[in-house]
Amino acid sequence: MGTQAAQIYRFDASGCNGCDVEVVEILALLPGVDLGFEIAERPADAQVLIVTGGANLKSKAELQHAYAALKAPRLVVAVGSCAASMGIFKGGYSMTGPIDSIIPVDLYIAGCPPRPQVILGALAEALQLSVDGLEPLLRTPEGYRGDPHVDRETCVGCSACANVCPADAIEILDGEGRRVVRFRREACVFCGTCQDVCPTESVTLRPGDPSWYRAKGASTSEAALPLAQCGVCGVAFMPEAQLAWAMRRVEERRALDAADREAFRHSLHVCMACRRSRIPDVREAKRLLTSLEKKTAIVS
Amino acid sequence: MELGAAKNRVIVYDAGLCTGCRYCEIACAVWHCGRIDVGQSRIRILFNAENRAEPYAAVNCQHCEEPLCATVCPSEAMRKDRETGWVTVNASTCIGCEMCRVACPLAVPVFDEAQKVAVKCDLCHGEPECVKHCSSRALWLAPREEALRVNERFYLAAGGNP
Repeated sequence: MGTQAAQIYRFDASGCNGCDVEVVEILALLPGVDLGFEIAERPADAQVLIVTGGANLKSKAELQHAYAALKAPRLVVAVGSCAASMGIFKGGYSMTGPIDSIIPVDLYIAGCPPRPQVILGALAEALQLSVDGLEPLLRTPEGYRGDPHVDRETCVGCSACANVCPADAIEILDGEGRRVVRFRREACVFCGTCQDVCPTESVTLRPGDPSWYRAKGASTSEAALPLAQCGVCGVAFMPEAQLAWAMRRVEERRALDAADREAFRHSLHVCMACRRSRIPDVREAKRLLTSLEKKTAIVS
Repeated sequence: MELGAAKNRVIVYDAGLCTGCRYCEIACAVWHCGRIDVGQSRIRILFNAENRAEPYAAVNCQHCEEPLCATVCPSEAMRKDRETGWVTVNASTCIGCEMCRVACPLAVPVFDEAQKVAVKCDLCHGEPECVKHCSSRALWLAPREEALRVNERFYLAAGGNP
């Protein structure tokens, strides 16, 4: 773009407005530094289209019009999790899909919302503007939340993170005798709930790679865990590591005698369906529970 | 623990009296979910005609004195109330890790796919519907000490009641 000002047309396709505020920030971010961005009033005056929010029934057609009116060469930037994946609005009655299901998107900027420095860095790279000396500013500082990373050594695959994720950003894929826990970059809203609930403190949101990308589908981090087979029916049911975690936890907190510990270890390796449907297993389970109850009664 | 085992009452099941009518399951589902959907029942009656020695069994929460589910729960959502003796899940703090299901030898807690939390028997806050509707009095409420004596006879004694 050279010395010519980059004309930006902003489009809020329906979001919370957080990303829009951050986009405006890039104009006044660095005193004395002018990268030459200007806000265009009409899409026909702009080459850059910045879209925030996931599209809904009302904004879909408007978005298509805005895209059609852009000057060449077009650069469409989807800012924030909603634009990339509808974020926490996914499943909303009026939502019609992420931006790239309506118009072609050249660049995605991750965040909920992304920091203005990140938006600036992404635009500078896409428009080949010089950011000499500004690089440290464009990086996410230590202590801030960045992409989620899972520790493959300590994750037990319990899927609590996926169950609490408000944006459905964590996939649990069971198959071929293993469970894969997969963090999807485009859907993450960086709320940190997965980090909060993880029983083994295996998830951390830490700053790392640049927060922009050109193709979706990449995972920020994933863990693969072998699944245990049911001792009765042979089906792969829960990660081995999760069973081991439960065993360890019980051993740490309860004084089981050798027979009860062995019975408990055996029951851990029976799948939930068998435990709840096979009479011999139910009997065995009640025998163990009665045995434990008897010892508790004696202690108390 | 000072409250003593006798103050708390738990559900006892006698497989020898059970007829497999499953009224308990219906009553439980209606009370907890407002509809006759035995899949939602917190108690489950098993019947296997081929198993002549033990044709019936119940999967029901024992509301253990030291519950394994609460022992493993990482978020303290599964708790035993020392006053009442009930073992219940706090749905607001449950993180859906399914550790309680893994630890319970009966897999009593089930995973609610809609709420993404564990759900289980809450003893209907003291007046269990399954006991009220049991047609053959195979289910009854007993003080913990009595329940232990009965269960010992059923499950620990050699050749006990199936």
